[in-house]
Parts: sequence; structure tokens; C-alpha cells
Amino acid sequence: MDYRNLTQEILSRGKEKFEDLEVYIQNNKQVEINVFNGEVNKYSISESGGLSLRGISNGKMGYSYTEKLDESSIDMLINDAYENSKYIDSPDEEIIFEGSDEYKEIKRREGNLSSVPAEKKIEFLLNLEREALALDKRIFAVQYCGYEEFHTERYIMNTKGIDLSDKISGAAIYISVIAKDGEDNKTGMSIRIFNDFNEVDYKEMAKEAVDEAISMLGATPVKSGSYPIIFKNLVFADILSAFGSIFDADQVQKGLSLLKDKIGSVVASDLFTLVEDPFMEDGFNSRSFDDEGHKTIFKKIIDKGELKTYLYNLKTAIKDGVESTGNGYRSSYKSSVTVAPTNVYIEKGDKTLEDLISSIDKGIYIINVAGLHSGLNQVSGDYSLSAYGYEIENGKIKRPVNQITIAGNFFETLMDIEAIGNDLRFNMSSFGYIGSPSIKVKKLSVSGE
Amino acid sequence: MLNQKVIERVLCAALSNGGDFAEIFVEDKLSTNIKLVGGIIENNISGREYGVGIRIFNGFNCIYAYTNDSSEENLIKVAKEAAAALKSTSSDLTLNFLKGNDRDINPIKILPSTVEKNKKVDLMKKAYEVAKNYDPCITQVTVSYLDEDQKILVANTEGVLAEDRRVRTRFSVSSVAAKNGEMQQGFYAPGASMGFEFFEKINVEDVAREASRIAKTMIDAEYCPSGVMPVIMDNEFGGVLFHEACGHGLEAAFVSKGTSVFANKLGQMVASPLVTAIDDGTIPNGWGSTNIDDEGTPTQKNILIENGILKSYLVDKLNGKRMGMKSTGSGRRQSYKFAPTSRMNNTYIAAGNSTLDEIIANTEWGLYAKKLGGGSVNPATGDFNFAVMEGYLVQNGKIVKPVRGATLIGNGLKVLELIDMVGKELALGQGMCGAESGLIPANVGQPPLRIKALTVGGRKGDK
Repeated sequence: MDYRNLTQEILSRGKEKFEDLEVYIQNNKQVEINVFNGEVNKYSISESGGLSLRGISNGKMGYSYTEKLDESSIDMLINDAYENSKYIDSPDEEIIFEGSDEYKEIKRREGNLSSVPAEKKIEFLLNLEREALALDKRIFAVQYCGYEEFHTERYIMNTKGIDLSDKISGAAIYISVIAKDGEDNKTGMSIRIFNDFNEVDYKEMAKEAVDEAISMLGATPVKSGSYPIIFKNLVFADILSAFGSIFDADQVQKGLSLLKDKIGSVVASDLFTLVEDPFMEDGFNSRSFDDEGHKTIFKKIIDKGELKTYLYNLKTAIKDGVESTGNGYRSSYKSSVTVAPTNVYIEKGDKTLEDLISSIDKGIYIINVAGLHSGLNQVSGDYSLSAYGYEIENGKIKRPVNQITIAGNFFETLMDIEAIGNDLRFNMSSFGYIGSPSIKVKKLSVSGE
Repeated sequence: MLNQKVIERVLCAALSNGGDFAEIFVEDKLSTNIKLVGGIIENNISGREYGVGIRIFNGFNCIYAYTNDSSEENLIKVAKEAAAALKSTSSDLTLNFLKGNDRDINPIKILPSTVEKNKKVDLMKKAYEVAKNYDPCITQVTVSYLDEDQKILVANTEGVLAEDRRVRTRFSVSSVAAKNGEMQQGFYAPGASMGFEFFEKINVEDVAREASRIAKTMIDAEYCPSGVMPVIMDNEFGGVLFHEACGHGLEAAFVSKGTSVFANKLGQMVASPLVTAIDDGTIPNGWGSTNIDDEGTPTQKNILIENGILKSYLVDKLNGKRMGMKSTGSGRRQSYKFAPTSRMNNTYIAAGNSTLDEIIANTEWGLYAKKLGGGSVNPATGDFNFAVMEGYLVQNGKIVKPVRGATLIGNGLKVLELIDMVGKELALGQGMCGAESGLIPANVGQPPLRIKALTVGGRKGDK
């Protein structure tokens, strides 16, 4: 399919109805492999994509999209976007961007995903499953053992002269095992995100998942009460990502973020620094321009506890009279432009996880939480999450704990951070490629027995 | 949607390297999404999703491929690429299609595409006004409107050739109440497999009032105490309890691999004898109803648990093959981008004999969860969690005060045994259920019921 010709045709025909317009195209190639009981039980390959059109008419932005990319879709796209623009009555000014003066080059490490044959990927998964089942006889099944690979291409072209494109590739391998002891079932999991097959080691992954599941056997709740808490690195990254919208200028402007009017104020412990780095060599969201064609920018969102900036796209930046921070984001061609970071992480501290644990007399080390999509309120900051992990006594891990909830308020949790680990780890999330070290929090309310 | 000859040639290409089953799924879907924030229309997007998925079974293994390009040439190419993952030899294929599906359980009166957009926008503005003016504490209101018109075709080498059209409409209001620097949210989002006539059935002003009522109640609420206590779960979206605690564990995707806590328990007592649970894909115009599932099998009413005894799982074709069971019409997928698997349609606990008032009056101390938010479950352990959006403390048989911020956790096998009162007032609520084959519309439901003891996670510490 020739995107360029199709796009130019849309832009030139659309000019009759719109002052300015923009085409955004995403094209995805995906490979997905799952194994079960020593066999490939799912093998999926795909190539698909879609095209979004947005245009300004009488100062209002209309959107439309299609996955049928051919000549026959052009009129529908233009007419729908035009029709949709008529109903927008937001007074906020929106623009089609003319481009930034320069875009920093991304020095992303080249991967080898495409050159590794499918047989080798399958072999890795089979080894991973076999190894996990062999490590301990209490491992009675492997729940998931899979590989996912994506290659995403992005094109933005508009009537203001922007003509940009880039490509991101990556892969993930994950395994989840079930340990069984009598009627007691426990799961453990391991995940790796990478773009070079030489970086992953199936033995290490199998051991991580198996150790977690076995270590949780016999878990019981703790007594309800208030405890110091250590969040495992990836768990805190998940919670931070679930609360990511508090930094979104759009939410702030609508009065839906309690960080409103807090720029320059202390909003977190002075140990806490939150960075967005679009240029990370090993970042899976590294990019030089955002989804509106604006250049991306390195920034500290929170610096030693002080809130430095919100995240802006063009529309919210115009409204606040500031420059876009390069955070224009489209979750797909089906959505309008919202706000999100690229690669974001909490700066690591100097304590090892063992240091954090040994600093606690009686507390809990949380290694998993559930209910992030329902058990928290981004607006109030309140959360109450199902959790499991280990009880800590006299600076040592004592026993596994499950069927508990931890509850608190995220804004208070940020202030209550007492120590930060040196074990920074990343995960993919709806709030960008996100990283966190293990985090110790003074106190949270725990419900158990 | 696709010529029968083309379908035949694609299916033949899919089995050109062997395999014992091939399927083609064609989807063409139009959607409209409108969002109103603070009284103004901020977003208005419409578009078309279009693509084809090709699936091959070889024994218990599945190969899946999808594409947006439905030209015969490309479909044959994709089918052959998928077939290349197999290494056996092909056998001769004779296809005799049996045209299926002539029932229409979701009759549509007014196709959304025939309704002028300003009528949709007017409803949203009306809801906004009512929600915003409900009380001075309501500071922000978001109204969303969604309609979609999904046409699908499924054909397979077993001779199935069926089409379905799913028209759905949903309307949601989210209200935020603020006081003393704190904010609370109320949310209500009814939906149905209906066209614009849905708005003859629901009153958008009622939806608006309900969202604001919850937000206002919760801004004045204290934090919920934590600990183990009796929990009364109200009807409608309260059914997310069964959905999370048990429904997912009954899906063949987990049962067939032995990784569900409900595996090998057919015929056994898995719940209190007060519990009868049903998954019914045939409720007329139900949010999770379809004429056929996404594998072309007609949907049906499945009794999952009867008087506490496990009667049936939710079965799709591939997992059914693994288990030696027939499909229960439960193969579902978000779109052509997903291989289907066993999922729920409209799942609910059947009505019992008590009334909500009786249940409350018989509770000395506990939590009354009037509205629940979402939840999740780990099917391998049965551990579930869900959030209480609107809760009250019950003392000496009476509701005493609203409480906020509670999460309920428990274990699916245990919680069903702990249900000790089941009410009469059955009602369903609409949700979007996420799992391996994507995000799909599903009804949850139940009458009000009581769980003897459940862990309540709140911020207030011990009672």
C-alpha cells in the first residue's frame, strides 16, 4: 500500500473543506507465540494498521479514522471529520502544528528480533516451560508461557509541512507458573522486555517465576493494622502508572487532578525525583517527536519532591500559555490526541532491597497488587488494592502473606516515602515505558484477619 | 461480506499444509464516540474498523493471522503464511456450507447511523445539566456517548457460514464531587444491544442524577473500616462478584488446561445450595447478547451452577476439543485482531427468596455494598478483588452511614459457599470484560445477597 500517495490525496481533497488537516498512520506487525505442555498452542502473525484524519474547520478540530485503506475511504474520512468538527463547542484553541525547529536524533540500540528465526523463539519458550516444570515438583502447571513481538511504524503528514515517520520494535517474554500443595494454589511470574534475543536467559526467568510461586505456598493474611510497606520495584511502577493522569495538564485544567496549582510546591518526599527521558538508549518509547509532530523533551517532572511541570500537548499548552512539553499522545489512530509520557522513571536511590528490608522491625514487602483498574481513584488519590508478599520481622523476611488489602492515598504515599532502592526496573504501561526502584513507605493501612 | 467462492479458496489455502480445521472471520464495524466535559463537546470521533482473521487448528494447536486487506490475493497469501507454520500434508477438502442464523434476538428499531448527531449531543447536554445542578458539591461532569454497528461473518471448514450484526449503544455519566480539597467520583453507564431506541428505555436524566447522587454521598462519607465482616452486595453491577469470583474460573480457556480452581469439579458442590448461576447469551437486546458467538455457534442459556452444584463450563471450540466437550456458544473476541476464546455473555445469579430489606434487617454489623466498581481475579488461585463505589455501614439491622474507599477480596471457591441469603430483586448491570481475546461487552447481575464473611480493605483500620 502506498501511504504517501493516499495521504497526499486526502490532504489535497480535504483542503476544500478544512483550513488545515493532518493524517496519522500506524502500521503494526505482530508475532505472538504461546506454548503449553511442550507444544506450540498458539502462533499468531499479523500486519494491520489504520489511518486517522483530523482537520480544522472554523477553529474546531474534527476526527475520523479507517482501517480500510484505499481510495474508497477518502470521501468518508473527509466528510466524517468535517461533520464531527461541527459539533465541537470547546472554546480551546487547537492547531495543526508546523513542526519544531529541530528534532534530536534517537540513538536507540538496534535489536535483532526480525533476524531471529521463529524456530529459535519457539525453542526458547519450550525450554522455559520445561525448565520451570523441572525446577520443583510442586510446580504443577505452567499457566502462560508466551512471546510477543511488535514492530510499529508511525507516519504524520499535514498541510503545515510536517512529514515525519519512525519505527519502534520490541518483544516480551512472560511465564506464569502454578505451584500446588494440597488445596493451596499459588502463582508466580516472570517477564522480560527486550529487543535483543541475547539479553534473555530462560533459566533465570524460570527460576524467578518458580521461586515466587513456591515461596507463596502456605501464605495467610496478617492481622489488620497499620504497617510500614516496601513495594517491589515493578509493583510501584504499576501503581505510579495507574495514577499517571495526575500529571496530565488536561486533567489539571479540568480540575480533576489534585496537583492543580501545585507547580513549585512540595508534593513528594525529597528523596523522590521523577524523570521523563525520551532519548534513553534502551527505552521502548524512545522517540524524537510526539504524536502531534512536536519535538520530545527531557524533563524532571518532580525534582527532589518539588513539582516542576505538568505534561502538555499543544492544546493544553496553548490554554496555559506555555510551550508543549512534547507529550501529545494517541493510544491509536482511533483516538484523539491526549497526553502521555515516553519513558518515565523514578530516580534510583542508594539502598539495596536488603537494606530496605533490614530497616523494618515489623512490616510487609509487597510483591504483587491486583485491582489497579478498579481499586483506585485517580481524582481523590485514594486506593485500596488486593496484595500479597512477605511479612518482615526484625529486618528479615519471615513468611508469605496473602489475602490482604493495602489502602492509602497516593498523594500521601508520595510524601511518606522513607527510602528508595537502587534496583530500578522498567515495564510497559499505559503511562509510557515506566521504571521504578523498590520503595519504602512509612505506613499504610492493611486489612487482613 | 465476502464472496462464498473466495471464502472457500481462502479456507483451502489455510489447510494447504495440513491441519484439521480452518476458519475465516470478517469484521466491518462503524463506531461513534462523543465526549462532553464540563458542558462542552470536547471530542467527537467516528470511524470504521475493518479486517479479516484466519484461524487454523492442528490438534490442540491454533494458528492465527489477521489483516486489513481483504482482497482475495492478500487473503490467500495470509492463509498460506499461516499454513506455513504447519508441516504436515494436506488432505482433500470438500466444503458444504450450511447457512446458519436466522433468529434475531437483538431486534433494532433505529440504526444509530440514521440519527442526526445533534440529537445525540442534545441528550448529552441534557444529562450534563441535570448532573451538574444536582448539588453545589458537584464540580465536574463528563458525559460519554457510544454507538457501534458491528457486522461479522464467520465461515469454517465444518460448513458453518453465518453472519451477525451487533448494534450497541451506551451512555455514561461520571460526576465528581469536591469538598475541603477532597474529590469523589460517581459513575453510571447503562448500555444495551439496541439502537437509538435505547433512549426510549432509559432516561438520561436518571442516569445523570444517579452518578451525581453517588458522588455526593461519597464525598460526605467516612473511610471504610477494614477487617473480615458480613457483606451485603446489592443487585445489578453487584453481579461483578460472581463474574470475577467464579465466572472467569469456569471459562474453558483455564479449565481445559487444568489451571482453574474449578477444573474437574463438574457435578460437585461448589457453592451454597442457595446459589444458581446462569450465563445467557440470548437475553433479548442484552448488552452481552449476540445471535451467534464469534465462532458462528448460536448462543444459548447455560446453567453453570444449580443449587450449588457445578453443572457446566463456558466452552469455545478449541478448548472444547481439548476437553471433549461441545461449544456452549461462548467463543468471543473483541475484533478480528483476536483469536476467540471462551468468555461470558450475560452472567448472573438467579433470584432467591429474601428481600433486600430482610437481608439488611438480619445483619447485626457489616458492610452494605450498594454499587460496585470493577474487579479482577487470578483464575489459578481463585483470588479476586473488587472495589466498592458506594458503601454503607450496617449496624443492628439498619443502614447507619456511608463509607468510602473499600475493596473486597476473597477466594472464588470459598466465597460461593459463604453466601447465606439471596434476595428476590434480580437486576443486571453493564460492563466491559477484559481477557485474552480482548475487551468485550458483558452483563453481570444478581439479586441482593449476603456473604457471611469477607475481607474488607478500607483505610480506617480496625472496627
